[in-house]
Amino acid sequence: MATVLAGNGAAAWGFRLSRVQCYPYYPITPSTACSQQISRWVNDGAMEAVTINAESEHSAASQIITAGKSVRAGTATSSKGLLYMIEVLENAAGGGVPCGLYIGNRATGAPINIWADNSDAYAMRDSGVIQIFAADAQEALDNIIQGYRIAEDLRVRLPFAVNLRGFTGTHAYEGVEIPKQEEVDRYLAPFVPIYPLFAPEKPVTYGAMLSAYPYRRHKRNQMAALSHASEVALKSGREFAEKLGRSYGLFEWIGDEKAKLVVALLGESACAGEVVTRHLQGKEGIPGVALLKIRLFSPFPAKEIAQALHQAGTKALVVLDEGLHHGGVLPPLAQRVATAIHLHLGGQGPKVASVIGGLGGSEVRQDHFQLMFNLADNIAEGKPYRPEPYWLDIDEDPIFAEREDQVSPKLWKKWGEIWKKQKRKEKFCAPIPPDAHEIRIYSRAGQGAITSAVGFTGAGIQNGYQLLTVPAFGSERRGAIITTDTLINFHKERKIRSFTRAWDVVILYDDTILQSPEHQVLEGLKEGGALLVNSSRLSVKKIREILNANEERVKVFTVPAGEISQRLGLGHLNMPMLGALHKVYEKVPFKTALSYYEKHVPRPREVSLESIKQGFAETSDQEVKKVKKERRLSVSQDFLDWRPEDHSQESWPSALEEVQL
Amino acid sequence: MTDEQQALPSPNRYKEFVVTGSLVAMRDRQDSAAPKEIERSQDQSGKFLHAAEILTIEEVARQPVDGIDTPRILSEMADIGPEARLFLYRPEGKVIRYEVFEDPRICPEIHRGAVIENLQEKPKDVSGWSTHEFFIDIKGCLGDECGRCAIMCPENAIHLMGKGKGSFHEIDPLACKGCFICWVECVRTAADCILVDGKTFDPIMRAKHFGE
Ligand code: SF4
Ligand code: SF4
Repeated sequence: MATVLAGNGAAAWGFRLSRVQCYPYYPITPSTACSQQISRWVNDGAMEAVTINAESEHSAASQIITAGKSVRAGTATSSKGLLYMIEVLENAAGGGVPCGLYIGNRATGAPINIWADNSDAYAMRDSGVIQIFAADAQEALDNIIQGYRIAEDLRVRLPFAVNLRGFTGTHAYEGVEIPKQEEVDRYLAPFVPIYPLFAPEKPVTYGAMLSAYPYRRHKRNQMAALSHASEVALKSGREFAEKLGRSYGLFEWIGDEKAKLVVALLGESACAGEVVTRHLQGKEGIPGVALLKIRLFSPFPAKEIAQALHQAGTKALVVLDEGLHHGGVLPPLAQRVATAIHLHLGGQGPKVASVIGGLGGSEVRQDHFQLMFNLADNIAEGKPYRPEPYWLDIDEDPIFAEREDQVSPKLWKKWGEIWKKQKRKEKFCAPIPPDAHEIRIYSRAGQGAITSAVGFTGAGIQNGYQLLTVPAFGSERRGAIITTDTLINFHKERKIRSFTRAWDVVILYDDTILQSPEHQVLEGLKEGGALLVNSSRLSVKKIREILNANEERVKVFTVPAGEISQRLGLGHLNMPMLGALHKVYEKVPFKTALSYYEKHVPRPREVSLESIKQGFAETSDQEVKKVKKERRLSVSQDFLDWRPEDHSQESWPSALEEVQL
Repeated sequence: MTDEQQALPSPNRYKEFVVTGSLVAMRDRQDSAAPKEIERSQDQSGKFLHAAEILTIEEVARQPVDGIDTPRILSEMADIGPEARLFLYRPEGKVIRYEVFEDPRICPEIHRGAVIENLQEKPKDVSGWSTHEFFIDIKGCLGDECGRCAIMCPENAIHLMGKGKGSFHEIDPLACKGCFICWVECVRTAADCILVDGKTFDPIMRAKHFGE
């Protein structure tokens, strides 16, 4: 059965199963939890490795390079940390050191932004490192194992980096199949150094000064080795499928075989694109559509991608970049794709338009993909389009503008002719009916909502569904209102990893959130959806009054979670709230969920279980006698020490201990 | 006000920290038990790493390797062509891993990662660089008691000859680039240990050399 892990936890498993021997690190959001987990394992003796608390990313990178000459080495980083590493990473590539990096992709600023985009990965693209993009936690785990396989191949011997989008990838909890150690051992042989440091029979010097004559020859060799990585990646991806059951190519073609319209991109945002592609496929008046989810970014599989586009007879290709080109002609991915098409297909290839989106944590939503497919359709029809990147989700400069007064005269002067000809089409852009259930929790940072959502995710997965929990992280202080979203997908085969934000259930951990001017709790709640409020003092009627909503609009439930916790001496609200959720949302039956909770709830287990049960029992949509005063919990010290990222390891995935290795 | 002293738990075996008010001082470890030394593994095999070998088809044909099917390997290599290499890992003479692969290098004389194999490096003749000849007078040299010049020489041109009493240092004329460093650094300048062009220590030359 799948274990509930966040992307960072899954990456840590990737390193652990690869039997990494040396892991120096310097923590940085959003990849910290990976390093945390590994140092915990090393400390507990679960993993045989040397961890080094480096004094900077620069040192951590220097250390994996030194270690990587003799043993299998890895580290994790993000954003500026990666930029700080790049200076030395060229030595890893130039020195032929096959070490591994896991990168939680994040913006590089300025201004400071801790959220996701591919700026950091793009900044390292000229450092000679093999760059692989993962779209979810499972892929992060699998790609780290394969990364070592590719990097250590004798035709390659170069460093690699596995990229996963920050937060929606690194902090999203989902079911991950953790392979057995023996299976991985059969796939990935132990590390054998070619030129180890300290081999008495063959002492070597790395990084000696070379003059022009040998230098240019060495660089020619290095490029040849890197170009082999693409063939090796394909082969080792195939073998991964044979031995571990999940197949990987250089890119994934999702959708119609004969796709006239294609959207190409890297990484996690593809999950929303997948939903849209599936929705548009076979719709009346829509030609073949596909999503080109590129896994290997460096070395770029130019020929293979050109071939695939040619075979599909693609007419128009929209490339989404989650990073900038800073003076270049097109952003990095679009530029690579366009060059590939130009070189291999010449005039026969599809037209390429570039879109910049997903910057600094901007979500690339389903409706954005609809727009991009719409744009591709217009281009395929021969409509003019911008010879420079479009911008996603910027109202002042939309992809389609119907009227002149929608944009500034200056912009209209520049792009008016194109806007006039480009039409937004209903058949592409009509809203996609939700295919999964979605639950949103509004809580205060520190109330433990993530723990309960992660627990619920585990119970749902045990029940045979696919679940995904994405907490929102920000620069909030403790006590600020945060959201945690969970998606329940009932289709076994069909992956859904993208929210429509039409909530079936909204949960308030605190009745004061009802008064928050910033939060309209009914916003996005489906007609007739459920609202669950932790409150001892407010009646269902009163809540309806506050929200001004009748019974058709919303089913209101209350639970005195604070009272229950206080009664049982628990410092948190999340356990009773978890029980209450089962009363409100019955798709994950309480009885089967309990069997999961029995094994997995945070300690003290009896108390946690009891409060889940009482939470379930005391939830009601009826008027119950209310106490006058809201109970406030005295918050325990552990609770104050709580940090979001701990949740990827400690609270729920006690399941980790139960994975038999 | 009483200044209470409080010792902090220390991971060091010899020293510990004491806190007095807001002052922290270090002192020898007193009554608290020193942390146990981590037991090192007695197994020596992990200490040194063994390098793998990478052989060309000629090298494999010349000396067949025990423990692998050499004829099959050779035919596999022949299929690939001159770029074929055999990767061989045999830490204690026993083959643990081998693999035939195609060498990615376009310029095969440059090692992977531009690594230099120290034992195969041939010393360069840099005697043409020097404009003076440097020579150690063995009578003055302190031999293995000193060795300062040998440490200082940037070209590793100075070697110790002999052992104990009667040992001395010698300059390899092919490796010496004539930088004057040994001459300045020699602890026995007064004894005219290092000769430049057969001349003893000469303040005028020194002044000229250092622009004094
Ligand atoms: S002159 Fe310079 S290079 Fe020559 S032996 Fe002395 S220190 Fe070495
Ligand atoms: S420094 Fe002078 S005395 Fe010392 S080893 Fe060299 S030549 Fe001999």
